[in-house]
Amino acid sequence: MKKTAKSLSVPYTAKKAPAGGRLKKNYIGWLFILIATIGIGLFYFYPMIQALLLSFQSGMGANLEYVGLDNYIRLFNDPTFIAALTNTFVYLLIQVPVMIVLALFFSVLLNDATLKFRGFFRTAIFLPCVTSLVAYAVLFKYLFGLNGLVNRFLMDLSIISEPLNWLSDPLLAKITIIIAITWRWTGYNMIFYLSALQNVDRSMYEAAKIDGASAVQQFFYITIPMLKPIILFTSIISTIGTLQIFDEIMNITNGGPGNATLSISMYIYNLSFEYSPDFGYAATVSYVIVILIVILSLIQFKVAGDDK
Amino acid sequence: MSKVFQFKKSWILLISIVALLALAACSSDGSSSGSGGEEPDKITAWAWDPNFNIAALNQAKKAYDGDLNLEIIENAQDDIVQKLNTGLSSGTMKGMPNIVLIEDQRAQSFLQSYPDAFYPIDDYINPDDFAKYKLAPTSLDGKQYGLPFDTGVTGLFFRTDYLKEAGYTKEDLTNITWQKYIEIGKDVKKKTGKDMISLDPNDLGLIRVMIQSAGSWYVEEDGKTVNLVDNEPLKMAFKNYKAMMEADFVKPNSDWSQFIASFNSGDVATVPSGNWIGPSIEAEDSQAGKWEVAPIPKLDMEGAVNASNQGGSSFYVLNIPGKEKAAKFLGETFGGNKDFYQDLVTEVGALGTYKPAADGEAYQSKNDFFNDQQLIADFSKWTEEIPSVNYGMHTYAIEDILAAEMQNYLKGKKLEDALTDAQAQAEAQLK
Repeated sequence: MKKTAKSLSVPYTAKKAPAGGRLKKNYIGWLFILIATIGIGLFYFYPMIQALLLSFQSGMGANLEYVGLDNYIRLFNDPTFIAALTNTFVYLLIQVPVMIVLALFFSVLLNDATLKFRGFFRTAIFLPCVTSLVAYAVLFKYLFGLNGLVNRFLMDLSIISEPLNWLSDPLLAKITIIIAITWRWTGYNMIFYLSALQNVDRSMYEAAKIDGASAVQQFFYITIPMLKPIILFTSIISTIGTLQIFDEIMNITNGGPGNATLSISMYIYNLSFEYSPDFGYAATVSYVIVILIVILSLIQFKVAGDDK
Repeated sequence: MSKVFQFKKSWILLISIVALLALAACSSDGSSSGSGGEEPDKITAWAWDPNFNIAALNQAKKAYDGDLNLEIIENAQDDIVQKLNTGLSSGTMKGMPNIVLIEDQRAQSFLQSYPDAFYPIDDYINPDDFAKYKLAPTSLDGKQYGLPFDTGVTGLFFRTDYLKEAGYTKEDLTNITWQKYIEIGKDVKKKTGKDMISLDPNDLGLIRVMIQSAGSWYVEEDGKTVNLVDNEPLKMAFKNYKAMMEADFVKPNSDWSQFIASFNSGDVATVPSGNWIGPSIEAEDSQAGKWEVAPIPKLDMEGAVNASNQGGSSFYVLNIPGKEKAAKFLGETFGGNKDFYQDLVTEVGALGTYKPAADGEAYQSKNDFFNDQQLIADFSKWTEEIPSVNYGMHTYAIEDILAAEMQNYLKGKKLEDALTDAQAQAEAQLK
């Protein structure tokens, strides 16, 4: 170990090494970094800066001009944007907690060593995450259609007498979207919890059992605290994912009826491609997502990540 | 030594920044293309709908005498809109087609958003040969950019058997108003149990059809001034729409395939739509002889006619090498070949807006699926009556606002308030 550390530091400190070899080593090292730096700079930072510049411009298509903060001011007076923002927050506030609780619930159940067919259940719940976003969205559209399976099922059970208009009713359409994303992503979060649960020492549960703790107490006093960093991680990932939600909205309801399910990403799409293109304003709206993600992640860190 | 290293570090940093900037500069350098460059061997065309536009292009390729290597690429309409927008706004014309099909309602947004991206084709066609209502959306600043193609003329497709069962004949449906249509619809539902129409609550296509029949649009003549709150035809169209929704004869659909299924399955009695729906109705062989087409109902007001446009489209030539070849091809086929249009009607069933073609023999042919109706002749007659309106550039932006207000209106908001709010929102948004 010592030897390697020493040899690594040779180009920087040792005075005895021949100058040529040192130069060569430096070149090769920098070459590796250079390629990655250029790549990251070109494909991450350059577009980000361009988009920021774009967000200060406005105009149709290629006729862009600098308008200062006009786009950002416009945001606050734009009812469509506010509708999209509200919808996205509705998804976020309802769907993320529901999904995380469900994922926790399933992971604890499936972590039980006495459960039979554990592998099967785990796969079954994880399977939605590997299906194509578009394919599952289209499938949900048909499931919740007027003559879809859901309506027929509910009618057969005599829960409803007439088919519900899942996709064309503002409230039901939102519920449909929430059900769809929950179905798609619960398994994904569950996998994180499952792997974290494998690392929780069994002896803690045994000790708790001996002390007379019930299963519920074990869950709240051992499992949840042990999983806290993972819960933080998944809630941030889910928040980011939900703020960027697009495929489901696009394919299931197309933002309708009348903007009732419109998300911010869908609005960006509409601004760029559906309406007469205003890429400047679309960039502004997309920066709003960035800002929101930063703020929400910071809040989550503050609330949950107190020890680090 | 460490000084040398530091020097080198900054040197390498400098190089990487220079390299970055150079690469970045390369990417925006492409904007100078468009003019100049070599003539390509191959002309490409983008269009959607294999049964209609693509088939028409193939037919044109067959009919064209000149030397041309034409590649026709099928794209969904949404994909074309996306690709054009991203391509043209990036400033590079690489990968763009020579010929592209654009929907009339979107045309102005492309023409005005990307000046110089399209090639004027006045020298290759005579605009007066085409239906007048197609010229406003396809031209800009006195120059003709689009070659008017698909008429989008509307008709009221109806099931003769259902209507007969309810006691109505074709005469009862001819040249009626939407109010009358709603009355008949209620009657049909009562007597046959069949719904009158299938509607997607998210799609205001029918509103557009209604207002254009009265020569009105979401914007005023200038194509810019938002015209919602004092728009009488629009108010009437909204009232009609609500009356339909409340008449309990609407079978809702939420996408294209459900829409098609609504009439192919025999669930609805009428389909008021653009003529392009014809092939989809004919696709259900078992219903042959059961359909006919009446003129579209009109708004109950002065100046309204029983003719309108829904979803017509036209061909555009991009301002890139090969433009002359492409324009010549379009001009000599879609732009001036009467015989070609006869073949187009008989073999593809596609109806253009080239006026001289209308006296041709094929235009008088009878269609046995539609009870031997002279469908093409009827459609081309209605085409001439379509009022010309300026769609402007914001049809879809305004329509999204209206769709939201329509939902509020259906839920009980006052019509005046709904349109006032829509007007305010549209004005704020479309500066």
